[in-house]
Parts: sequence; C-alpha cells; structure tokens
Amino acid sequence: MQVVLLWIALAFYGLGIVLTLPSIIQRRLSLSLASLGALGLGLIAHGAALSVQTAETYSLPVVDVRSALSLFSFLATLAFFFVYLRYRITSLGIFMLPLAFVLTLISAVHAETLPQSPEFRSGWLVVHITSILLGYVGVFITFVAATMYLIQERELKSKRPRAFYYRLPSLEICDELYFRSLIFGLPFLTLGIVTGFIGASREWKGPWELDPKIFAALITWLIYLILFSTRLSGNWRGRRSAYLAVFGFAAMMVTFLGISFLSGQHGYFPNFGSKP
Amino acid sequence: MNLVLVGINHRTAPVEVRELLNFQESRLAPALADLLHREGILEALILSTCNRVEVAIRARDQVEADPIIRNFLTEYHHYDLNAYDRYLYWHRQEEVVRHLFRVASSLDSMILGEPQVLGQMKQAYATARRVGALNGTLNDVVNQSLAVARRIRRETAIGTTAISVSYAAVELAKKIFGSLEGKTIFVIGAGKMSELAAKHLLRSGASAIFVSNRTFDRAQELAKAFHGTAIRFEELFNHIDKADVVISSTGAPHFVVSKAQAEQLLAARKNRPMFFVDIAVPRDIDPAVNQLDNAYVYDIDDLAQVVDANKKQRQREAVWAEQIIDEEVPRMLRRLASRDVVPTIVALEERLKLIRDSETERFHGRLSTLSPEQRETVNELTRGILNKILHGPITELKSGAGRPEQGALVHLIRKIFGVGE
Repeated sequence: MQVVLLWIALAFYGLGIVLTLPSIIQRRLSLSLASLGALGLGLIAHGAALSVQTAETYSLPVVDVRSALSLFSFLATLAFFFVYLRYRITSLGIFMLPLAFVLTLISAVHAETLPQSPEFRSGWLVVHITSILLGYVGVFITFVAATMYLIQERELKSKRPRAFYYRLPSLEICDELYFRSLIFGLPFLTLGIVTGFIGASREWKGPWELDPKIFAALITWLIYLILFSTRLSGNWRGRRSAYLAVFGFAAMMVTFLGISFLSGQHGYFPNFGSKP
Repeated sequence: MNLVLVGINHRTAPVEVRELLNFQESRLAPALADLLHREGILEALILSTCNRVEVAIRARDQVEADPIIRNFLTEYHHYDLNAYDRYLYWHRQEEVVRHLFRVASSLDSMILGEPQVLGQMKQAYATARRVGALNGTLNDVVNQSLAVARRIRRETAIGTTAISVSYAAVELAKKIFGSLEGKTIFVIGAGKMSELAAKHLLRSGASAIFVSNRTFDRAQELAKAFHGTAIRFEELFNHIDKADVVISSTGAPHFVVSKAQAEQLLAARKNRPMFFVDIAVPRDIDPAVNQLDNAYVYDIDDLAQVVDANKKQRQREAVWAEQIIDEEVPRMLRRLASRDVVPTIVALEERLKLIRDSETERFHGRLSTLSPEQRETVNELTRGILNKILHGPITELKSGAGRPEQGALVHLIRKIFGVGE
C-alpha cells in the first residue's frame, strides 16, 4: 500500500517536473496550473504513503535511511511549493524538484520494511532525526538560493546578459530567500544536534564525542552560525555569504554521506539502517 | 469567407510612400463608411500607423474585391495606386488571418514585441465597430487577433526586456534590487539622459531622489521637477551613501567617484548594494568600482550591450510566439468554417422550399381537380424529392464541420445551389 502510494507520488512528481519545463524554457512568468496541480497531487500521495507507514510502524518514518530520504524529499517538495507561492521563482523548480524526485525514487526502490531495533522507538531519536531533516530542508533552500545569487551576480558583473540573467530572480530576492531559509533551518539543525548529543551521551557506549559524524556536524553547524551572524551584521553581505552558504552545504553533504561510512555508531548507510 | 488584405509597412516602403497612403485618425470613420458603401464590400477594417497601413475587407466575391480596393485607395488618396504596386502586399483568406494575428502580436513590428501596435489595433477595431463596418467573419478575425496578442504577451517574454538605454538601466536596477519600491536615486549632473533614466526609475516605484550639479540652480530646477532634494556639488559625499542607484553624467574630465570612495560608501551602507549608471563621456565612475562586492557599474557602452542582448532575446522569444500563431490560425479557420455551416444549411433548405412553393403555385390550376388526399400525396412526393436532394449536401456539410477545407466546401455548395453569402 505504502509503496503503491509512493509510486503514484513519483508519477505525479515526474509529470509536474515535465510540465514545469515549458515555463522555464519559454521563460513564462508563472508555472502552469497543470504542473502545480500535478506536484500537489504528488505531495498528497506522498503524504499518504508516509502516514500509512507511520500507522503501520507506530513511529514517524525517519528511523531507516530510506524513510528519512522519503520524508526529506516530501518536505523539500512541500517547501518548494510554499516558496513558489510566496516568491514565484520558476527557476527554483529546476534546482529542487529533480533532486526530490531522485530521492523519492531511491526510497521507493528500496521499499522493504526493515526490522526495527528497540533504540529507534526512543523519543529522542525521532526528534533528533526529524529536526535534522527539517534543518536540511532549510539549508538546502539556502544553498539553492545562494547558488542562484552567485550566478546572477556574475551575470550582472560581466555586463553580458546570457540565459541565466533572464531566468533567475533578482539578487535581492535570492538574498532574502537564502537568509529566510537559513532562519528556518538553523534552529532545527541546532535542536537536532542538541538532541543528538543528549541521546548519544545516554545510550552510546564509549567516547561518543570522538565520533567523526558528530565532529563534522558541529563544524557544519558552526559554518551556518557564522553565516547567520555575519549576514545579520551586514559585514559579509552578498557574494561572500553566498559562497559560505555553498561551502556550508558541501560540509553538510560530507557530514551526511561521507562520515556515515566512517562512523561506528552512526552507521546510517553501511548496513542500510538496520542497526544504529 | 472572402477575406482580402492590402498593406504597406516599414519593410516594404519608405516613409515617403507610407505617408501618402496614411489615413488620418479623424478621417478614418468617413473612409470606412466610403469603403463600406462600395458594391460588394461586406466588412472593412483600416489600420493606419506611422509604420504601416493595412486595409482588410470581406467581399462578396474574391475576384471583384481587388479592383474595388484599388479604386477606393486611388480615389481616397488621389494617387494612382498602380504606381505604388511594388510597395504593396496582398493577402487572401487564411493569409489575412495570419497577417492580422502577427501584426497585433507585434511580430511584424519594426521593434519586436513593442506594445503600441496592440493599442492601435484595438483603436482601429473600435472605430470600425462604431461605424458598423465589422459584423461577421472579419469581426471575429480581428477580435481574435487581439486575444492572440494578449496570449503571446502572457505566455512568452517577447515584450519584457528593455530595448532602450534608459529602460535597460531600470531593468538592471530591478535585477539587483528586486523591486524599486522605497529605493533612493542620486542624479549627479543634470542632463537629458540622466533625467530620462531618473524619470523611468521613479515611475517604477523609486521613492526619493537627490540631484547634484556643478551649477546649483540647475540642480534645484531638476529637483523641483522630480519633487526631490538638491545637493551642493561640494557636499556630494555627505549624502551619496543614501543612494541605491547613482546616475552620473557630469562633464568632469576625471572620475567623480573613485574606487576608494566607493569602498567607503559601501562600508557606510553596511554593504547594501549600489548601482552606478555612468552615462558621462569621459566617464564619471572609476570602472574599477565594479570589482567591489555589491557595487555594479554600467557605463553607456555596457547599457548598449544589454540592449543588444535584449533584442536578441526578443528574437528568441519570437520563435515561441510564431508557434502560438501557427496553432491559433488553423483553430480560427476551423471556427470560421463551422460558423458558416448552420446558416448555409438553413439557406439551402429555404432556397429549395422556395423553389417547391413557387412550382406548386405554378401548377395550382392544373392540380385543382385533385381530391384533398391526392393533393396531399403530391405534397409528400415533392417534399420527399427535396429531402432526398438535400440529404447529400447537408450530411457533407455537417461531417466536414471544423475542418479547414470546410470553407471551400461551403463556398462550393452555396455556388451550386445559388445561395448567396
């Protein structure tokens, strides 16, 4: 049931993405109702799939890597939807939607239900992973907005308008979007990291402070904190904060993917979530 | 649908010729009335702008339409039209539909995507409607051309990029600041160009304006015109950090704003972006300022370069617009064709009924000896023959409804049965 719903969601997402293409190629002012409708239906089906899973396992669908990916792409698509309604940035779709699609696809392909270890029932872990995912969605948008800022800035500095100049939003909008998404993402990242510390200190055996993933997460968090404070003070406004936002996202990808393979306690990937 | 269009535009004729065939706006209504009174003309539209003159008509007959228009134009303008033949283009039937669609959508304009022609087309349509010159097929075509033009504006970006230097400055400001709402403009050196750019910026929502000039009187004059503030040239740097957009056009032989000065300005602004529009020659703003983060410097050549790129962008958008035209023309033809079907069927039935009635009338005397039953039989017989004859053409008309070639069929059937249009 859950898998069927997930495939339905994928079909709608795919349709929605295909329907956004003419708007982007032809530089129409807005996405067509058909493409927004398809994305909306995809979100409904995806939300239903997640609800079914929650009902079956009596816990939020965050405790294995494929559910986490599924939830992340659901949240990212939802975020795109809201950001689009607020800012009408058609080109955001080209950056965000394909990624959400691929992540949903991965979670639909590896859809077997995994045995649950008792640790996953514990409340702190659900809070930990959920906040981290929400934080990821926030800083993912920060990353996309910062990238758009950097491209548009280069177009304007070069004084030779090319395709991006016409399709990307103004610097001001990019700037506002990456700051706002950071304001959304940073508290969740903070909460995720704090709950992570609490959980690790209570349940892990051995020196949890030395876990590479925790170390990397701390560094990522610090980068975003610096980004936030320098942007707030105005000192690093513009290109430099945008570069930092991109760097922060890269650090986060390293934390999420790379370190997972090295971390003993945090083995999200090596055994595909069957053991913590 | 016997549509014919004759026209002349900036591509086919120089202005000396175009002005000879121009229709003054005040004389458009009488001209249309004159045209409409001529034998064989059913509908008419005249579009006359500085770049083009288009006369479109629906005639009772295709072949006789040409001399009627020729005579009308020759008599109206007192010029022998034959002398100008090489400047004219003639369109017929679906070509007329396509041409009117393209003209209204500004695909045939000197400046691609310019918005004026749509207004002019609306005006021409309104005038023709007012004098009763549009009431059928041509009316539908012109009306649809306005709808197609609006669709193209909505679905392509053909009219969105700036193609003049002063508008390019506004467009760039919007790419930097998003909205110009609440932004401050600083004009250094009062000149024609900077005045124009400032005017466009204010119209786009910029809220405050400062003007500074070597001669303070001129600054005050301009500031007054814009409801702004005049600043003495010596005090320039006490105020310029408030400016989001700086438009500079002084006659100074050296840079007015150096890189070091710009750096200080940006620091004072907490790195909020600044956009320098330098339209002075020699330049007022050190081009090295553009290397600073959050500062953007465009000189007169840079702006021209943007305009150039925008024009090319419009050409790319025109490709999408032409696709919309390709889609809309057959749709229009289908609609026109099916529009003709029902009246044709009705006219056909009436025509044959008339024949039957008059023939029955003619034999009235000789049939008077028949009993009522026998007379009823004759009636049934003649009605049966009529229906059998009608069956073929009506089925054909109905089944072909909506196909482009339907128009020819309607025309043929009307001709064979002697049913006028």
